[in-house]
Amino acid sequence: MKPENPVVAVLSLVVGLLFLSPVLYSIWMSFQTADAFYAGRVTFTLDNYERAVGQFNFARYLLNSLIVSGLVTVLGITVATLAAFAFARFTFRGGDLLFGATVATLMIPSHISLIPNYLTLAKVGLLDTYAGLILPAISNGFAAFFLRQYIRGIPKALDEAAYMDGASPLTVLWRIIVPLSKPAIASMALYIFITEWNNYIWPLVAVGRQDLYTLQIGLARLYKINPGEGLVDWPLVMAASTITILPVLAGFLFVERHLVRGITMGAGK
Amino acid sequence: MSGIALRNIRKAYPGGPTVLHDVSMEFHPGEFIVIVGPSGCGKSTLLRLIAGLERADAGEIEIAGIRANDLAPQDRDIAMIFQNYALYPHMSVRENISFGLELRGMPKAQRNRRAEEVARMLQLEPYLERKPGALSGGQRQRVAMGRAMARNTSTFLMDEPLSNLDNALRVAMRTEIKDLHRQLGATIVYVTHDQTEALSLADRVAVMKDGHLQQFDRPEVIYDRPANRFVAGFLGVPPINFVAAEKLPGWQGMQGLTAGLRPDILSVHAQKPAGPALEARLVLSEMTGSDLLLHCDSAAGRLTAIAPRRAMSDPAAQLWISYDLDRALFFDNDSGERVDLARDLRSIRTAEE
Ligand SMILES: Nc1ncnc2c1ncn2[C@@H]1O[C@H](COP(=O)(O)OP(=O)(O)O)[C@@H](O)[C@H]1O
Ligand SMILES: [Mg+2]
Repeated sequence: MKPENPVVAVLSLVVGLLFLSPVLYSIWMSFQTADAFYAGRVTFTLDNYERAVGQFNFARYLLNSLIVSGLVTVLGITVATLAAFAFARFTFRGGDLLFGATVATLMIPSHISLIPNYLTLAKVGLLDTYAGLILPAISNGFAAFFLRQYIRGIPKALDEAAYMDGASPLTVLWRIIVPLSKPAIASMALYIFITEWNNYIWPLVAVGRQDLYTLQIGLARLYKINPGEGLVDWPLVMAASTITILPVLAGFLFVERHLVRGITMGAGK
Repeated sequence: MSGIALRNIRKAYPGGPTVLHDVSMEFHPGEFIVIVGPSGCGKSTLLRLIAGLERADAGEIEIAGIRANDLAPQDRDIAMIFQNYALYPHMSVRENISFGLELRGMPKAQRNRRAEEVARMLQLEPYLERKPGALSGGQRQRVAMGRAMARNTSTFLMDEPLSNLDNALRVAMRTEIKDLHRQLGATIVYVTHDQTEALSLADRVAVMKDGHLQQFDRPEVIYDRPANRFVAGFLGVPPINFVAAEKLPGWQGMQGLTAGLRPDILSVHAQKPAGPALEARLVLSEMTGSDLLLHCDSAAGRLTAIAPRRAMSDPAAQLWISYDLDRALFFDNDSGERVDLARDLRSIRTAEE
């Protein structure tokens, strides 16, 4: 996409930089030593990254976050797609009621389910486990709703043609619906991933063992590391933050291709 | 090849009115059946019931001699061509054609060979690797046919397969479909709202209206001896003329009947001819190529006659219209059913002239 108007191009650049500036500033800060930063001098050091990874175990937190968010995304998108297909294509007893309930979950603030979820997981002994971090997040009412709407836009005659060709419902889902819903599925996967990546409250409540901390928990802990009286070690925090946002950026770049390409793919009669 | 029998089929969509009322028909193996009727009369629903995409509320569907009501679509040995083709937009022409073969476990090399064979029959070879989005309407239509043909099923269902094509292509494809039927020898059930397609393609035509089967017979019978006024009016171009029978000279005593006069049984004269004739005023003459359509007002109402253009180079404003009494049709005004007036009654009437 080439903007024809140079004014538009310059404006876009300015707005883009405006949005980027806090990120760029924090990345710049992560390369300063704490002393230099508070003294107002400019330096360059990788020391903060070394400390975040070596001393404060951020490699482990990164791994935990990748495991948890990755599995939540894969399982969550699977559940949402299956539910969306059922809601979009089949009439079954209680179907409308179930769909209504799914939509209703969108109106419930997540904090309300915090304590019931905690008690449930405590009862089945899943606190302080990966499963405890992952399971409550894999049902996503919004993703199911969004995908259902999208699938309803795919002509039902395509399903029927596939059934005539000998397909089972799961084959129709896998070979027809999923390929044609790629842009929507990619968007929802990204949405689930980012939501889970940034999830703070639930990991805080569900996990006490340090080796199960996710990045968000680890990051919050870093604020307590003081270089001096009442000071936060901002360069260290910013190095850890940079480690935290990079996978999300990478994930977005990976998925973006599908988002854009998908929009131009019509069902064509 | 397999026959299909429908017995007392009734169907209503959930919460809607009844779409099919007690429809019974039997199709013989290898027959070309056309189901014709105005939009919304239940043609597609009937086809979808045969395909197994809908379930009948009552009645029985029999395929190849066994009850098929509860058979899934994939177990019926039936292929279907959808009105909007329903090609898989994310698959190439080759994949579209061979998808059904793949699902039935045919090895890849064999599938490819079959897809190429089908593509050759339909002149689709140059497009095998293209997606449907990059094809013209006529090419998509042929891919839809190819997808149906690939599996060698005994029965093909076609739901208005030509309705999205322009006229020239439609006429060409009509011939091709007829030819294909001869080659494949399969049973074809073909749905259309186009009476020309019905008469030209079918071995037998089923005429439907509002979910009721009106008549099911050979095209000649449907045209020459329509069961009722609706069938007579629906088939035939230009459409049949309906006039009150008692307004026709020689039929003044015939109360309660409507006469159906197809344009081709009317003759137009400049002078009063011998025998019964109506005086008429020419309202509009339409050129259709070799013929002229003459729309006239008469004492019996508006009549459309057809005459060869050579014989009628410059029709006068005042005309006489006579008619071939043996080929006139009569319908009961109350029931709409055709009344078979005995020939001798007719001859008595004409003798009285
Ligand atoms: N899925 C459906 N749900 C409810 N009503 C339907 C459905 N499909 C068709 N109908 C109704 O059934 C009647 C017959 O439709 P259809 O079989 O498609 O007619 P045709 O193919 O002859 O035009 C129409 O009145 C139509 O509105
Ligand atoms: Mg239809």
